[in-house]
Amino acid sequence: MLDVPIAQGLIEFVARIPILNILVERDVFAVLIAPGLVSLLTFLGFIVWFERKITARIQWRIGPKEVSPYLGGILQVLADMIRYLYQEVIVHRDAHKKYFIQLPILSIIPVLLALTLVPAGKVYAFRSEFAIPSMVALISLIPLFVIAIGWSANNRFAFVGLIRESFMCIAYEIPLLISVLSMLVIYQSGDAITVVEKQTIPGALINPLAFLTFLISTVMATGRLPFDIPEADQEIAFGPYVEYSGIMFGLVMVLAYEKLYLLSLLMVVLFFSGWKGFYIATLGDLSPVLTLLLKALIVMCVIVVTRAVYARYRIDQALKIGWSFLLGLAFSSLILSVVMVWLS
Amino acid sequence: MFEFLQRGLPIKRWGTKWSLWPVHLVTACCGVELAHAYACGYDAERLGSLNYGICRQTNLIIVEGAITRKMARVLKMTWEQMPNPKFVVVMGACGIKGGIFWNSYHMVRPWEVVPVQYFIPGCPPTPEALLNAIVSLQKKIDGKEEVCRFEKFEIENVEGKVRRCPPLRKFVVENPAVVPNVERERDEFADFLEEVLNTKVYTIGEKTFYAFVDDLKSSAKSLKDTGFDHVKCVNVIDVPHEDEFVVEFTISSYSKFRDVLVTIAKRVDREDPKVDSLIEIFPSSDYMEREMHEFFGVEFVGNPWMGRNFLLDESTPKYPLRKDFKIEQESLLEERKFLQDFDDNPPEVPEDLVRDALSRDEFVLVVGPQHPGSGHMRLIVKLEGDVIREVIPDPGYVHRGVEKIAENRLYIQNIPLVERPCITDFANYDLCYVRAIENALKIDVPERAKFIRTILAELCRIGTHLYDAGILAVFLGHTTGFMWAFGLREFVCEALAMMTGARVTGSFIVPGGIRRDVSDETLRKVKRLISSMRERIGKFEKVFVKNPTVVARLRDVGVLDRDRAIELGLVGPFLRASNVEFDLRSVKKYEAYDEVDWDVVVGEEGDSYARLLVRVEEVNQSMRIVEQLIERVPKGEIRCDLWCLSDVVLPLGEHVSMVEGSRGTIYMSIVSDGESNVPYRFRMVTPCWYILKGFMEACKGYRLADLQAIYGSFGYFPPEADR
Repeated sequence: MLDVPIAQGLIEFVARIPILNILVERDVFAVLIAPGLVSLLTFLGFIVWFERKITARIQWRIGPKEVSPYLGGILQVLADMIRYLYQEVIVHRDAHKKYFIQLPILSIIPVLLALTLVPAGKVYAFRSEFAIPSMVALISLIPLFVIAIGWSANNRFAFVGLIRESFMCIAYEIPLLISVLSMLVIYQSGDAITVVEKQTIPGALINPLAFLTFLISTVMATGRLPFDIPEADQEIAFGPYVEYSGIMFGLVMVLAYEKLYLLSLLMVVLFFSGWKGFYIATLGDLSPVLTLLLKALIVMCVIVVTRAVYARYRIDQALKIGWSFLLGLAFSSLILSVVMVWLS
Repeated sequence: MFEFLQRGLPIKRWGTKWSLWPVHLVTACCGVELAHAYACGYDAERLGSLNYGICRQTNLIIVEGAITRKMARVLKMTWEQMPNPKFVVVMGACGIKGGIFWNSYHMVRPWEVVPVQYFIPGCPPTPEALLNAIVSLQKKIDGKEEVCRFEKFEIENVEGKVRRCPPLRKFVVENPAVVPNVERERDEFADFLEEVLNTKVYTIGEKTFYAFVDDLKSSAKSLKDTGFDHVKCVNVIDVPHEDEFVVEFTISSYSKFRDVLVTIAKRVDREDPKVDSLIEIFPSSDYMEREMHEFFGVEFVGNPWMGRNFLLDESTPKYPLRKDFKIEQESLLEERKFLQDFDDNPPEVPEDLVRDALSRDEFVLVVGPQHPGSGHMRLIVKLEGDVIREVIPDPGYVHRGVEKIAENRLYIQNIPLVERPCITDFANYDLCYVRAIENALKIDVPERAKFIRTILAELCRIGTHLYDAGILAVFLGHTTGFMWAFGLREFVCEALAMMTGARVTGSFIVPGGIRRDVSDETLRKVKRLISSMRERIGKFEKVFVKNPTVVARLRDVGVLDRDRAIELGLVGPFLRASNVEFDLRSVKKYEAYDEVDWDVVVGEEGDSYARLLVRVEEVNQSMRIVEQLIERVPKGEIRCDLWCLSDVVLPLGEHVSMVEGSRGTIYMSIVSDGESNVPYRFRMVTPCWYILKGFMEACKGYRLADLQAIYGSFGYFPPEADR
């Protein structure tokens, strides 16, 4: 059961309710509430709003506002979501219908599975030596769904988009894997809790090369500008997602943001000493959870700002960056790690 | 109680109301003001309205003005592809009753194609009006519809000066004499041309020559050998009462004879009109020949496109510019059906164009007209892997038939009409048209009017270059560049509004001067606006023009070298980016350009980045010109009497005028019969129509993603090209 001194009464009250009582168990709380499903959804809403708002500020304008003038327009995301929810879902004649409908829903599975592997202090669902490798493996499943989505739409733009996605995903996936590997070599463990405990100084300072590789790969992997290539709207009209409408489009559109959330959590665990930092005794178990989420939020907010600053690279330029600069950086980070481990 | 069954749940209405996302379907020139409404000056995103690319994911169509027959198919298809619930807002007078193009042969009213929720009057409506429309639509969704009620209101008569409209009576002569080659002030150069062409050459204007020849091809060849390198205009004059067409090719040069225009013409029989095509000698005449073939049915032997539509829709009446095809005349009572012969089939890709591509395992991609990275045109792109093999243009989605309408209006009434092709660049269009009339009638323009006209032209140039830079930015995915460029354009619009009263479409320049005097106080304010733009343009350059990603995308992309650029007849900054120093402002020194100190900007590489840099530098030069002009503006009269201008009759013959618009040379020629007070034939070739050929050629061999970069770098503006 959760141990939160400040809200112990509430927790004990919930624990007495027959079905809801599992919610205050640590492992269920981790999966369903934080850093699991509920916080994922909250973050999705927040980051979309934040992105629109910060981009607007950089662009000399205000961004969403009139929907809730005193809350800075934060209800805008809700309004968009409700509109999508109630809009007609069109399945066009040429689509591979079964896959076209199934894939957006199925694509949530790797995201949710990866979420179960993220610990926050004592709040975790699993503790395993293979937590981080499995998380990376699950994250790299997501492009597969994007490719399948593009194929099932059976549209020319979607086809170009899926080709681009498949080129891109190999270009960033290998440096991403190597940078994670080089950190795991330093920590000599694949268990997220051990990894965080071993970070007396943040991992980003131990191996800055690995951090840089991971950061650029994250920007590439989440389709942020300047690597917004597979779903480049001005070139190929959102590529794989071109035919989706209504809530189906809502599901595929948040895929990149879900990935961003996962990779930010992973980045915090690997490079920013996870939930270490401040500890508030009265919050008990919730304190590390909040620290982790706050750090992830900062990372996400920094990454979304790139949209306002950069133009889009061409696919060949992005692949060149991925296969030459980024891969070189990744290998040098691995060498650095190996040397460090060997010296110590 | 069962209200929600009829009108949906309240939460559904709330969500729909605050999330009206317009689809990116730009249909005509009102799109400029739409872009302003969604850019940082007005920011429609405040209202929860986000301009989004794909019709499947949006719920609002904002129809921006004129819907042509071609575009109507696209509008219908887009509307059908959108998921329910969906809404349509129509901007502009063209969408209501046709506006200034009400009697065109190529126009359709949008409310006959799709159901419309809200109309915004104006030509073009201001961004505020568009925001008001979105708010009103939100109220309508909420069930609180605002209804305009008209009340009868008596206005007291105020004693004083009585203002009356000038009498606008049309006077059209039947079976007039059409003589394009009227000799005026013979130039010595004509003798030289007589030797080259072996025929009589007339001087019809300043450095403008005209000759009837027997063999167009050999004459063109000998002109090419002399040093002429591109075709400025292909024109056909229909003379039904003499049973003939006069086919004219106007040829010019960028290298040797810089300010000379030579027209070689041939009379052909009206029954079986056939002339030789000049595309082998001058490739730049290709698209203009196609256009003339469509308008008049003249067959250019040798042009592979004959017998096929280029600009016009299939349902358009055949050969609409022939004199025996009459468009409706002005009458307030007349009501017409637009859709008599219009079927709403979606536009299809002509099979024969892509057949060889399919057999060769090439990938055919149709970009536009409803595409986030295209304007109001369709590009059929043949791809081999990621590399573009060929791009086939399909323009004409905004072809509103300016040339035909102009033949049915008084000279003075055509001033607002000629600027509609490019409303951001109105002053240059007005200037071109008005200068043709002034040269024909030998009207002197007072100095002060000349200065103010030049200020207007340069302000328009700044505005148009910023517009193009903004569009290029959004094509590269750089939204900040788009927003900042449009924010900077607000300064220009403000200056134009102070001077002329309109943000775009000023219609301020009239034969003999300008419409009203502009006070010195206003000019000082304009100068202050310009100086406050300076710093912000520096910021814009830092964030967009020098951005490493932008440089990477544009450098060495879409290269047209010097010879190729001349051969394809490029104009304006796009020609100068290919290292050709040619600027009509310095060649002809019209208006007040010889009074100020400025440089012709020339690029070297001829790639997309050079085309961007040339225009960025031209903005700086234009600001220099404006500042100098405002300092030196002389005191004096601006002569203007609209009353006597209302009945202008031009002398017999063809009157040609060219100015340097912001995207390049604007060419207008008016053929007058000397008796009617409407033009007998009005021909207008716009910069974007010249550019199109170069744009298509520049795409070859580059990657699919470069298509948008090249498109943006050419500043191709379809309403301007289609007219």
